[in-house]
Amino acid sequence: MTQERLTIAGTERSPEVDFDFASGRFSMRGESYPEDAAAFFGPIFDALRRYLQAPAPDGITLDIEFIYFNSSSAKALMNILEMLEKSAADGTRVEINWHYADDDDTMKEFGEDFSEDLEHVTFNLVSVDG
Amino acid sequence: MNDLFDAEEKALADARRLREHLEEVADPELRRGVGALVKAFERSLREQRRLVRFSDRLQGQLANLNQELQRRRQEAEDALARLEETQETLVQQEKLASLGALVAGVAHEINTPVGIALSCASHLADATERLKDDFASGSLSRSEFSRYLATAEDTSGLILANCDRAAQLIRSFKQVATDRTSSERRQFDLRDYVEEVLFSLAPRLRQLGHQVSIDCPSGLTMDSYPGALAQVLTNLVMNSILHAYDEGQTGQFSITVTQPDADSLRLVFADDGKGIPTEHLPRIFDPFFTTRRGNGGSGLGLHIVYNLVTGPLGGSLGVDSAPGKGSSFTLLLPRVVRERENDTVEAEQEA
Repeated sequence: MTQERLTIAGTERSPEVDFDFASGRFSMRGESYPEDAAAFFGPIFDALRRYLQAPAPDGITLDIEFIYFNSSSAKALMNILEMLEKSAADGTRVEINWHYADDDDTMKEFGEDFSEDLEHVTFNLVSVDG
Repeated sequence: MNDLFDAEEKALADARRLREHLEEVADPELRRGVGALVKAFERSLREQRRLVRFSDRLQGQLANLNQELQRRRQEAEDALARLEETQETLVQQEKLASLGALVAGVAHEINTPVGIALSCASHLADATERLKDDFASGSLSRSEFSRYLATAEDTSGLILANCDRAAQLIRSFKQVATDRTSSERRQFDLRDYVEEVLFSLAPRLRQLGHQVSIDCPSGLTMDSYPGALAQVLTNLVMNSILHAYDEGQTGQFSITVTQPDADSLRLVFADDGKGIPTEHLPRIFDPFFTTRRGNGGSGLGLHIVYNLVTGPLGGSLGVDSAPGKGSSFTLLLPRVVRERENDTVEAEQEA
């Protein structure tokens, strides 16, 4: 089954998600502390897993811009990064841009922590005017 | 080194040692399996460490936010307390200002009879002086003497009547002023009292050409706080004067008292002015709500009315108005006000 695009509108407590599988541009933005993190992130894992069986030849760029997230969302994000890292190890070009407000040191440190285990993924910390 | 994950690291070291032992004895599949387990375990431990760090940092952020919230709440509470203090002061000032207006009205009203009495007395004194001179020089004629008697009769009559009038004015003002500045509860005849209060407002009303009609059964005795009632009536009248009419326009005010039952009475104050815009109606009793800010309006007049009616007078009030159709305020008051905690009554009267 081919999938074109996964979009989830953002809410007060869950991020806006836009995975454009055709172009390989992915993004997640906003707050993330959903009532049930497994229920929210499950479909995202599934779609990503299917897509990564045959990723776009130009590779993947994922933009992440979180204002706040809880521990479950952090774990979910690690799972996504792990999937992408595996795919990158197999030769897919993967670039992740971690956006943080330039006055938000905590969010910057989170980005550094997330990049720790990534060897094959290019991980960029991008400061945004706060 | 102190490490919260000592036990996990130790278990991991054991697993790595096990993998090394297996290099020599076990079959390749088992070796691969154990190797993958060790890798997964390593990864899981790294994730655990990271998650604990995340969690600590997030909770730290939350704690900071909580402190900030606490601080802002304190600030808001302080600001509210200051605002309430200021409001109380302003309410007090507004009451004093209306007392000032009352005193000015008294002065104006008493000025007329006292002035007449004074000029009559002076005229009589002059005539008496002339009479004395003529009598001393022996040139006093019969007709002059009879003219003097007529003058003396006229002037003393006028002096008497005007002094009487002044005394009567002072008596009624005294009662209103005493009630206004005290928080005393007493029995009073409602109609007489309403007339006295309106009397004190008469100069202002006359000056603007407004008419007031009072329709109240006689012999209706109230046991309540007359000072509060006087303030309420004054503020209602002043409110209509200020807001209901354009300059030069004259109005008809009416005060109608009826008795729905033996224990309560309904007092309706109405004007035939321009009415209150519908969107203002829900807010007219709010403190500082005024359409005349910077133009003499303090926004406290009707707020004080509301406080006094629902407070010391123990009643309720409502307003009925539509643009172009005048306004009427309906007060439902107990004839005998219920005894409440003494200090509460004092406090609200003082405020």
